[in-house]
Amino acid sequence: MRFAVIGAGGMGRTHVANIAASPDAGVRWVVDLDEALCTAAAKLCGARASTEMDEALGDPEVDAVLIALPTSAHRMATERAAEAGKHVFCEKPIARHVEDAVAMTEACERADVIFQVGHVVRFFPEYARIKQVLDAGTLGQIAMVRTQRRSAPVMERSPWFADLEKNGGIIIDLMIHDLDTLRWYFGDVERVFAHGLSYTEWQQSRDVAMASLRFRNGVIAHLDASWAHGGFYTAIEVAGEKGLLSHNSRKNATLTFESSEGTADKGNIAPQLTFTRPSTFNPYSREVAHFVEAIRTGSPVMTHGAEATRTLALAQSVLDSMRTGRPVVIESNAVATTTA
Amino acid sequence: MTEPTQIGAVHVAILSFAHSHANGYAGVLNALPDAELVLIADDNAERGRDAAERFGAEFVGDYVEALARDDVDAVVICSENARHAELTLAAADAGKHVLCEKPLATTMEDAQAMIDACARAGVKLQTAFPVRFNAAAVAFRDAIRNGQAGTPLAVIARNPGTCPMGWFVDPDLAGGGAVMDHTVHVIDVLRHIFDAEVTEVYAEADTRIYDIPVDDTGLVMFRMSNGLRGSLDTSWSRPENWPIWGGVEIEVIGEKGALRLDAFNDNLEIAEIDGPSYTWQAVEHSGDPEMVAAFIHAVQHDEPVQVTGEDGMRAMQVALAAYESVRTHEPVEVVTG
Repeated sequence: MRFAVIGAGGMGRTHVANIAASPDAGVRWVVDLDEALCTAAAKLCGARASTEMDEALGDPEVDAVLIALPTSAHRMATERAAEAGKHVFCEKPIARHVEDAVAMTEACERADVIFQVGHVVRFFPEYARIKQVLDAGTLGQIAMVRTQRRSAPVMERSPWFADLEKNGGIIIDLMIHDLDTLRWYFGDVERVFAHGLSYTEWQQSRDVAMASLRFRNGVIAHLDASWAHGGFYTAIEVAGEKGLLSHNSRKNATLTFESSEGTADKGNIAPQLTFTRPSTFNPYSREVAHFVEAIRTGSPVMTHGAEATRTLALAQSVLDSMRTGRPVVIESNAVATTTA
Repeated sequence: MTEPTQIGAVHVAILSFAHSHANGYAGVLNALPDAELVLIADDNAERGRDAAERFGAEFVGDYVEALARDDVDAVVICSENARHAELTLAAADAGKHVLCEKPLATTMEDAQAMIDACARAGVKLQTAFPVRFNAAAVAFRDAIRNGQAGTPLAVIARNPGTCPMGWFVDPDLAGGGAVMDHTVHVIDVLRHIFDAEVTEVYAEADTRIYDIPVDDTGLVMFRMSNGLRGSLDTSWSRPENWPIWGGVEIEVIGEKGALRLDAFNDNLEIAEIDGPSYTWQAVEHSGDPEMVAAFIHAVQHDEPVQVTGEDGMRAMQVALAAYESVRTHEPVEVVTG
């Protein structure tokens, strides 16, 4: 399976490395408007480099396109790839606006190409294991679910993260991971209430959001997302009538580093800590392998366009609630299901 | 009759052991040099006699008789929530100072009547909020006030616990379920730290874990008068075999970082070959001794109580607003006038 990777930023380079290391896929093109970026990434895996997406899309040897562009460019790139008859893997979020997501999904259906969106959390081993535990009924009826997704103030380095119009801010970019995962676990949401900083004067330097979800099956969930912490970690807790499960990427870290530099005169002040969980189970490789398998065998794609559109619609409801200060009742999933 | 005590010691009666917190308070009263636990009154004679025996106090089977005693200066009320009002009103009538278990009452009318009666009678009314006195919570408050986290931007809190069952799940006696039981501690701490009121509440709650007539799962989203936005999970979501009763966790996310209180996290983890495979033992948790001592001090020195009846009423009001929101699915304005 030969890929053209469009976008050689952080996520693009991650995918280039993973695809190049895959036994049944390879990178044929790396495309980026920044010639130095695409050339450097292409050189690592013996691929061709271009600043013109159409050059890669016109190559009949290319089977699939992986889009790792800023969110606002996802629709344009997906539609052009589909028109060129290439299968499409697009990074999350599928788009900034639901109407864009619907158009992308329809374009891929018209062209009869596979379309997957990179909701990678479903491929993280702990979240996949939780899905198994829930489906097995081990915890009985589920009552309360809490998720956390905390990170440093990323907008200080990359201001586009905070661009509410183009990128959607913390809900559309960060909380969407847990919104998608909880939809996967519990199905459709009936009612949303949220608040946070996205529509305050803090939003350009710090953002924190918390959301209350009421699922149609009765589950109550609290999600938080932060760009106001010291480092990245995630956590989830699920409480049911028969038990409780939890995972915290920091508490359950398998490798930590405690820096001694610059601590001599700090007494008992906590040192700089880093928490990691090295794994042979690379979720970013797994999601691309899932995509390659679907192209090869026709197996179903878990995070297909319509599914990602529903997740985006939910994220938009959370954002709407935060903007208006009002609960949002989700009458139906008609917008998304028309494209299912 | 009780033994003579040192001059100035406050003579205390505990009215009802319906709430198990009475055990903690009784232990503290027995340990405090400035307090004397004179009697334990309970209309459940078996429960009251057992407690009186354990804490070396006299048992009285009738609240009226207990309140008529001249050798009682103050009462600690640990009855079912819905009975706090009648006992507090009777105590005020009898000229006794009152330390009342939380939530202060189950209706605004009752809470206001309790506050008014104690004011009229010139007796003190303190709401039992021990978390405010927990050493970690005090340090948390000071760190926030000193600006360690910078300008506070958001607060994410929870007070999860095991389900207490018994009268706690009787809507008439408890006034609600997990939301009534576990809203007030955290709200009191936040009102205290920020000197601000909750102005708006949105909530989801339901009965999803136990076969009981009250909510066991609750989530309260709130705004405060200082602009702070927050959330509070009140669920009885710890399984019945959880190593401890639950916990109080409050995270304030500020401009300079996140400050986290986990007030009941100081535990030994123990696995015994001949015992439970895994359990926790509290190293240092409470807040009870400091809370009871503050009440005794206020009575003894005729000083204002640190946690007032008004504090108890405002925290309870947030729980009542949460229940209204659960019924209407609308945000509810909390008017504190």
